[in-house]
Amino acid sequence: MTQRVSGLIVALLLLVSQAGAAQVRQISGRITNAQTDQGLAEATIAVGGTQIVAQAGNDGRFTMNVPDGDATLTIRSIGFKRRQVSVPATQETVDVALEPDVFKLEEIVITGQSTGQQQQNLPNAVATVDAGELTRAPTQTLETALQGKIPGALIQANNGAPGGGIQLSLRGVSTIVGSVDPLFVVDGIVVSNVAIPNGANAVSCAQCGGNPRNQDNPVNRTADLNPEDIERIEVLKGGSAAAIYGSKATNGVVIITTKRGRVGSPTFNFSQRFGVTKRANELGSRTFESLAEALTFSRDTALVTSLFQPGRSFDAEKEVFGHSPFSYETNANVSGGTENTKYYVSALVKDDGGIATNTGYKKQSLRSNIDQELGGGFQLAVNLNGVHSLSSRGLTNNDNSGTSPFLVFPFTPSFLDLLPASGASRDSLLPSDFPVNPFERSNPLQTFEFLKNDEDVWRLLGTSTLRWAAVRSARSTLQLTGIGGVDYFSQDNNLVSPPELQYEPNDGQPGTVVLSKSSNRNLNLALNAVHTFIPGNPEHGSQWTTSAGVQFEERRLAFTQVLGRTLLTGQESPQQAASQTVTSRVEPVRDLGLFGQEELLLADRRLLLTAGLRADRSSANGNPEKFFFYPKLAASYRFLRPIGGLDEFKLRGAYGQTGNRALFGSIYQTDTSSTIGGVSGTYIGTQAGDPNIEPERQEEFETGFDAVFASGRAQLSLSVYQRNIKNLLLQQTIAPSTGQQLRVFSSESQMRNRGVEASLTLSPIQSKSVNWVFRTTFFANRSKITRLTVPTFQTGGFGLSLGTFQIEEGASATQIFGSVGTDANGNAIAGKVGDVTPDFQMSFSSDIDVRRFTLGFLFDWKQGGDIINLTEFLYDAGQTSRDFVGAGQARAARNAAGFTDVYVQDGSYLKLREVNLSYNVPDRITSSLFGRSIRTARLSLTGRNLLRFTGYRGLDPEVSNFGNQAIVRNVDVAPFPPSRSFFFSIDLGL
Amino acid sequence: MTTLLKLSRAALVLGALMVEACSFDIANPNTPAVIGENPNRSQVAAAASGLLIATRSDLADFVRNVGILGREAYRFDGSDPRFTGQLMQGPLNPGDLPFGGNHWVEEYAAIRSGNDLLRVVGTAEALTAEEQSAVIGYVHTIQAYNFMLVLSSHTQDSIPIEVGTDVTAPPAPFRSQADAYAHVEALLDGAVTELQAGGAAFPFSLPAGFNGFNTPGTFIQFNRALRAREAVYRNDFAGALTFLAASFYNPAASFDLGVYMDFSAGPGDVANPLAIDPQTGENFGHPSLEAQAQLQPDGSLDRRFLTKLVKRAPRSAGNPQQLSSDLGWIRYPSPNSPIPLIRNEELILLHAEASIGVNDLATATTDINLVRATAGGLDPVGTFATPEAALDELLYNKRYSLMYEGGHSWIDYRHYGRLAELATAERAGPPPDVIFTTLPIPTAEVQAHQ
Repeated sequence: MTQRVSGLIVALLLLVSQAGAAQVRQISGRITNAQTDQGLAEATIAVGGTQIVAQAGNDGRFTMNVPDGDATLTIRSIGFKRRQVSVPATQETVDVALEPDVFKLEEIVITGQSTGQQQQNLPNAVATVDAGELTRAPTQTLETALQGKIPGALIQANNGAPGGGIQLSLRGVSTIVGSVDPLFVVDGIVVSNVAIPNGANAVSCAQCGGNPRNQDNPVNRTADLNPEDIERIEVLKGGSAAAIYGSKATNGVVIITTKRGRVGSPTFNFSQRFGVTKRANELGSRTFESLAEALTFSRDTALVTSLFQPGRSFDAEKEVFGHSPFSYETNANVSGGTENTKYYVSALVKDDGGIATNTGYKKQSLRSNIDQELGGGFQLAVNLNGVHSLSSRGLTNNDNSGTSPFLVFPFTPSFLDLLPASGASRDSLLPSDFPVNPFERSNPLQTFEFLKNDEDVWRLLGTSTLRWAAVRSARSTLQLTGIGGVDYFSQDNNLVSPPELQYEPNDGQPGTVVLSKSSNRNLNLALNAVHTFIPGNPEHGSQWTTSAGVQFEERRLAFTQVLGRTLLTGQESPQQAASQTVTSRVEPVRDLGLFGQEELLLADRRLLLTAGLRADRSSANGNPEKFFFYPKLAASYRFLRPIGGLDEFKLRGAYGQTGNRALFGSIYQTDTSSTIGGVSGTYIGTQAGDPNIEPERQEEFETGFDAVFASGRAQLSLSVYQRNIKNLLLQQTIAPSTGQQLRVFSSESQMRNRGVEASLTLSPIQSKSVNWVFRTTFFANRSKITRLTVPTFQTGGFGLSLGTFQIEEGASATQIFGSVGTDANGNAIAGKVGDVTPDFQMSFSSDIDVRRFTLGFLFDWKQGGDIINLTEFLYDAGQTSRDFVGAGQARAARNAAGFTDVYVQDGSYLKLREVNLSYNVPDRITSSLFGRSIRTARLSLTGRNLLRFTGYRGLDPEVSNFGNQAIVRNVDVAPFPPSRSFFFSIDLGL
Repeated sequence: MTTLLKLSRAALVLGALMVEACSFDIANPNTPAVIGENPNRSQVAAAASGLLIATRSDLADFVRNVGILGREAYRFDGSDPRFTGQLMQGPLNPGDLPFGGNHWVEEYAAIRSGNDLLRVVGTAEALTAEEQSAVIGYVHTIQAYNFMLVLSSHTQDSIPIEVGTDVTAPPAPFRSQADAYAHVEALLDGAVTELQAGGAAFPFSLPAGFNGFNTPGTFIQFNRALRAREAVYRNDFAGALTFLAASFYNPAASFDLGVYMDFSAGPGDVANPLAIDPQTGENFGHPSLEAQAQLQPDGSLDRRFLTKLVKRAPRSAGNPQQLSSDLGWIRYPSPNSPIPLIRNEELILLHAEASIGVNDLATATTDINLVRATAGGLDPVGTFATPEAALDELLYNKRYSLMYEGGHSWIDYRHYGRLAELATAERAGPPPDVIFTTLPIPTAEVQAHQ
């Protein structure tokens, strides 16, 4: 093999004339979009048989030197089909029009740590989402921008609170007590998606009822990423595609690539958005028609008589959650570069109001992505992203203190006036201006006016990537990549509940302050080598891609919380509190992984064969010295025009294994400690660890086909998969007489998921003036516990009578159990009352360009999937549900008779997630207004979650009182209501 | 290919360096490990204090929830209707740990914590043999107390007693109530022997609630007081009188003399959860406590009622739970108020109860009149003519003397089969109120035995 170390990596206007003696000539021309005739700024033009590559300028024009004689040019542009043209020796200009690659067949999709393959050869159904699809409508957090776009994904908000808290699960349930988050990889480094509780439990006392799970409504930190910075997202859904990510990849891998600069003069993009947010649903409250009816509410006749006035009722829900705040978002970026230096710099300022009093979400982000050629085949890429976010999320979800609004409303009749005294000005309200709620412990209007629950996050993501094209010959390349990256954030939570609030004196310690400081550091170091070998024709010949590497990752989460009780008026420092409690915890984890992979493209690049192996060790395992191995195998074959009407047909199959690890601390057998009378003591903790814990192992087999038909106007993909998860980690409820309640351990238990994913993309009209793309996806998954080595057990929720989850061999992993009557002794009989897993999910999206107008929409449909609606249970218990007389009474009576099913309700929904109408302003208007400085101008009207159709009786069928959970989702207890938003946007390109 | 080989070798070296740079064996940075072999004095002391902290975990819940079962208290908690539903109407749900499945988990956690200490105390070279004995006597006494809480709230013959320290071992078998009480007796009696051999001082300090009982010698008085209570529950009245004699029973001393569990709002400690605002908090006195209170000579209510409860604006639990109360608790006025484990007033009443049991009605009358006068400000009653009449008066006085201190009403009225007398001011339903006689065995315990 020749060791000619030469040249730079392609993609810029570059001439490598190693044989300086050769005669050259010049070719110029223009590359355009075949449909719009617009120039393609990012097109690259490669000269066959040489390493000469040019890049088109902003208007699609290029000029390049080529050797004398006939030339064959290969023109590529992202999102367009590649084209080859022959240019005879005498021809000096060539204009090439490229057809859009509607189905992304030629898109390069990541298949390893640093290798990729064209979509048309992929052996897996990897979902990709590009920038245009991501930003169809403004979003607070990345995950919402993915809803409905990934077949195989269930993406649901935990409730409507501003600033995030969203679960992304791929291909069903893959664990019972292990990690539930997919692995998020941004520009090659693993970033944190941890969700840190905000300390609201100190006020809500949600866990006082004995429930071990936190109910603080935390935000998972993927919320910090700015969707506008993202070039594309690839989603590896499970073991067969993600095996090369090893022991952290069972829940899938979300690979995020951010935007980078391209050669050319600086390009400015600026967008300004103005919006308004409104609540999408309300529960309402029973209206009491007469004093007689009001007196059935409470025995306190005198109180009710003094309050009740016929025909007068108050809507406290609207007072707290009925605001329609304004939002704005400003995005600006500039990119460009020379052959040696390229840059992309962006800034975001965002301020979204919340529908509840004193809530909202603010985010600012700065990103600089720099690429520098260093010579000698070295290239350095440096990414720096700083993010600040501030969210104020109020106090919602379950409580035991009568403070969470939807736990107060049910016990507060609508004839009670909770509004502040009429004379009080909004700006100088005092807690004493609000009436005391005689029926419950708090007045939510007062609570939301004065309670502070702020989450302030500063995050820095920095990555340096050094690439070295160590070998670069016509047949063989070797690229070495070293990546070092740090994802660091500090999250400060400040919760202040002033002593004057109605509920505060109840615990004998008026005034609560919780100051939490958390920091998380993800340190990544990796070294990868990729060798490609093309023995024959560089365009069509076989290709061997060998990759290998080593990765080290260290995570350290540190959490410190000071809880102060008994505050003086106006004091917010825990130091001023009469009593202080400190909680602190650190969670260090170190992982090391080694991998190797071989990808073979054969048979005119229609056959792809892949084999890979990953080996991982981790401090989170019982034996930190032991390596766990994760193999993968995959193949695909493309048939070109196998039968009439079918343009291309690919058969694919893939097998792979991944791991999933236990939550931090599961290996430890620990005591817990506390203090009595100033003396500290240690006693047994509630959970027993397993010093031999191992990662769960997922084996996934996936097969399917991709077909392009109808003269390239339609594409159908269908995948079926089966995944078996072995060595299930279990958190078993053990005999409490052992002194402990739970035991976490690696078991021989197994779970299975089977599912089908399909997507159909149609592009029925492709013309110069009209362009229409329509996509639909389908996904259904069924899980089953195939082997359970411990007795059937129940987990999560609020006990059998209010719905819990039963883990049982032979049954769905997500089945909801409840009481289905009582036996002769009056004891509850347990039975299945529902299942969280949806029957199926579908989405429908469409983008239509008609001349200068673009109309896009996305519908997201979830059919089935039950929800435990305890909010309705509370309203019925408080006899204030809107339909209490009759229906509510009947529900309460049935529940009291020992039937849980009335509160286990179908959570189907159809939501219009995104809609957008935009207009590209013609040049003549922009130039008459702004001169020639404006390149493009677009006006858009967009909306998110504008329509919802659901039979669910709660606030929203996207709900999870316990945050992100593998099994224990869809528990509805007093959530933050959902909202919808409208935006008007101006996008300018300069 | 040589470059490739060289580079992959370099990668391996780099990988090896990364591994060397930091250990993958990370000790638990957050919580202490379970006490191990040959503990030092401070580890023993921490485990001894921990045993009390574990015992404290359920105490306030026990007082309140068993108080609800025995109609001493209500809790109108809008967030959790189970306090007036499940605990008062049923069905009691054994899977619902804070309610039907309660008063089991924390007690066994305390017993287990004691076993962890017992397992290694013999290997503690830092302790003298006397000190080791003192530790064993202390642990057995506190374990016995926890077994008694379990037995008081669960009257089925399903009590595990041979609990160890290995969670992977098969669960301890269910034993009958009689076997379990015999085990409690053995623990308490064996503890006396150990404490007598335990020297002059414990190798650890006990919190303020044990003042007066914080040496092995004085701790025996606490042990004997528990033993007397146990004997009365088992109708061993003669035995009870013997045990009382060895306890701190003292008609001449303060009624509050006794052993308490400390609470504190101090750093890292636990505030008394029952010390909530009497006017705005969720916990209420049962209306029958006012309705049935006897009158002092000046016409005011029994002083025990007046010193433990206060009138507040009436509140009711929402329909269909139309219960209502206008009584707020002032039994524990501050977050630092301790909850008694056993005190002199109870011992005097146990003395009366045991005297009734051995048909010494004169002594019972004396004891009861002492309590009536001293605690209630009530006129004395004449010598009881029948044991039944004595029992009526005894139960009244135990209810008022010990209200909100440990579910005594429920335990004592049940002991004599008279729970129905507590059913006052109740709902007609549906479903109707029920006074349960026992909590079910928690689901997790039952399932583990299947």
